[in-house]
Amino acid sequence: MNIRDVGSGLFWLAISFFVCYKSFSMGIGTFRSPGSGFLPFWSGLILGILTIFLIITSAVKKQGKVSMAKLWGGMQWPKVILALAALFIYAILLPTLGYLIATLALMIVLFNLMGRPKLWIQVVGITGTVFASYIIFYVWLKVQLPAGIFGF
Amino acid sequence: MDILNNLLYGFSLGLQPSNILACFLGVLMGTLVGVLPGIGAPGAMSILLPVTFRMSPISAIIMLAGIYYGSQYGGSTTSILINIPGEATSVVTCLDGYEMAKKGRAGPALGIAAFGSFIAGTLGIVGLMIFSSPLADFALKFGPPEYFSVILLGLTIITFLSQGSKLKAYMMGAFGLILSSVGLDPINASPRMTFDILQLWDGIGMVPLVVGLFGISEVLINIEAPATREILKTKIKNLLPSALDWMQSKWAILRGTLVGFFLGILPGGGAIIATFVSYGLEKRLSKNPEEFGKGAIQGVAGPESANNSASSGAFIPLFTLGIPTNVTMALLFGALLIHGMRPGPLLLKDHPELFWGVVSSMYIGNVMLLVLNLPLIPLWVKVLKIPYRILFPLILLFCIIGSYSLNNSIFDVLVMFIFGVVGYLFRKFGYDPAPLILTFILGSIFEQNLRQSLLLSKGSFSIFFASPISACATTLALILFATSFVPFGKLRGRRPQ
Repeated sequence: MNIRDVGSGLFWLAISFFVCYKSFSMGIGTFRSPGSGFLPFWSGLILGILTIFLIITSAVKKQGKVSMAKLWGGMQWPKVILALAALFIYAILLPTLGYLIATLALMIVLFNLMGRPKLWIQVVGITGTVFASYIIFYVWLKVQLPAGIFGF
Repeated sequence: MDILNNLLYGFSLGLQPSNILACFLGVLMGTLVGVLPGIGAPGAMSILLPVTFRMSPISAIIMLAGIYYGSQYGGSTTSILINIPGEATSVVTCLDGYEMAKKGRAGPALGIAAFGSFIAGTLGIVGLMIFSSPLADFALKFGPPEYFSVILLGLTIITFLSQGSKLKAYMMGAFGLILSSVGLDPINASPRMTFDILQLWDGIGMVPLVVGLFGISEVLINIEAPATREILKTKIKNLLPSALDWMQSKWAILRGTLVGFFLGILPGGGAIIATFVSYGLEKRLSKNPEEFGKGAIQGVAGPESANNSASSGAFIPLFTLGIPTNVTMALLFGALLIHGMRPGPLLLKDHPELFWGVVSSMYIGNVMLLVLNLPLIPLWVKVLKIPYRILFPLILLFCIIGSYSLNNSIFDVLVMFIFGVVGYLFRKFGYDPAPLILTFILGSIFEQNLRQSLLLSKGSFSIFFASPISACATTLALILFATSFVPFGKLRGRRPQ
């Protein structure tokens, strides 16, 4: 049994049920007069049917067993978690801290994520990245980067 | 004469300083993303799309188009020097390009790739000019059933040809349609699956979705399992191919051009398939097929020509029918809509300046790329040597700025983050995001044409078989879908000897 596919299949089945259920409240309409929920319903139903095929074929398959542990075994997944956490916190704090401070903090975390470069590389790389991106996007291209409570 | 007059008109627009600058920036960034394995043209285009809001529509499309065909040039550099394709369309170039480099012939390999790309790209643009007008006139006969059927066929082909499991690819396609319906109903404007979140009334943003699925997920995969890149230590000399190199490559370049152009028009991985077909063709026609895989210059010239002419061919369905044939074209489709232009048969009539301006810029861009790719190869080699642990923070930063600058909204950054996680999980569980992106981008016009057709036919699906165009397209789509799940390999094994 391919646990990876069965597991993901159950997830998609849940999505399919949810979408079909929500479509009823939107109004599926009829073939003569399709409603707002027409495409979501049929897409959800097709997704559900295909998922059932996936689950069945994966459950009966004797070869190609892929366990969940194998997906992450031997990988540096803690660094992925760290990168995601850094990105999430950055997105939350960006409006408050402003672009320069928030991005400086993010770059410090990310530059050290895959090993510690030499100090001068860190300083030049981090500050160069932050200020160059500020000049290119905010000053030159007039992208409205958030200023934060400190005004920059 | 009409074509010539239009082309001259196009050059009058393309040679304006702002458009030359846009073209240069586009091809430069395209070459850079092509050289750097990872982000790819779709990711780069979606990140830079918000930047184009301050440009005129012509400049914006010129720059975005430049990123696309520029990336085809850049992809060959990493294939030849590192044996890692910079783009999916440069996979085949690894086979002989890297072998040539190992034999000390990196220069001629890079040179013939650049020149072949230039010739093919230029001829491809000529084809684009010749075929677009007649096809646009033909497309004026399309009504909602025809559009629905052709889009259905295109989506089916793309899903059929996607990597990995076809079942999972169709699931991605269905999910993309579901995501496309988030927001206001295009017909009666009632909110759908917005969960009382105001920002979702406009639907899920294309840029954060694509950036998340492609850019962020790619970075996460590389953080998790860093790939080692070892650049071949060889002197890069003799970038100008010799007379013998030209003699050996000329027919490969011409054949690759033709193969690439016509396959590039087809929905699906047109350029990718074109490179494989070109390689197979050159090997079959070669007097010394045993040299392929060991450094045959035709194995570089043909595929590299094919991928560049395919990138020109891919514009034809986009501009004339309003149907993108791959993810990159789908992004251009989205960009055109954002800039207030509807791709389709009326685009050439209503906005000839856009079409001919872009066509002329492609000529200019191809010249720029030839200049950029040959003398600047040592610079690209230096770029390749930048450690990934320094590059990925920059990539992430550009992803964030690209998503944020769309609406100056943190919500879009969060959407990008969510789809980054989703894209990472897709890769772990073996789901190809390309069909999802295509159905997501085309979902709205797909739905509108479906519902309009059903309204016209009072609910009868026979409307999709009423006209020759829709009947052919619908039938083909159904056949492809049905045959997707037939195990042809096993059936062949059961035939009696």
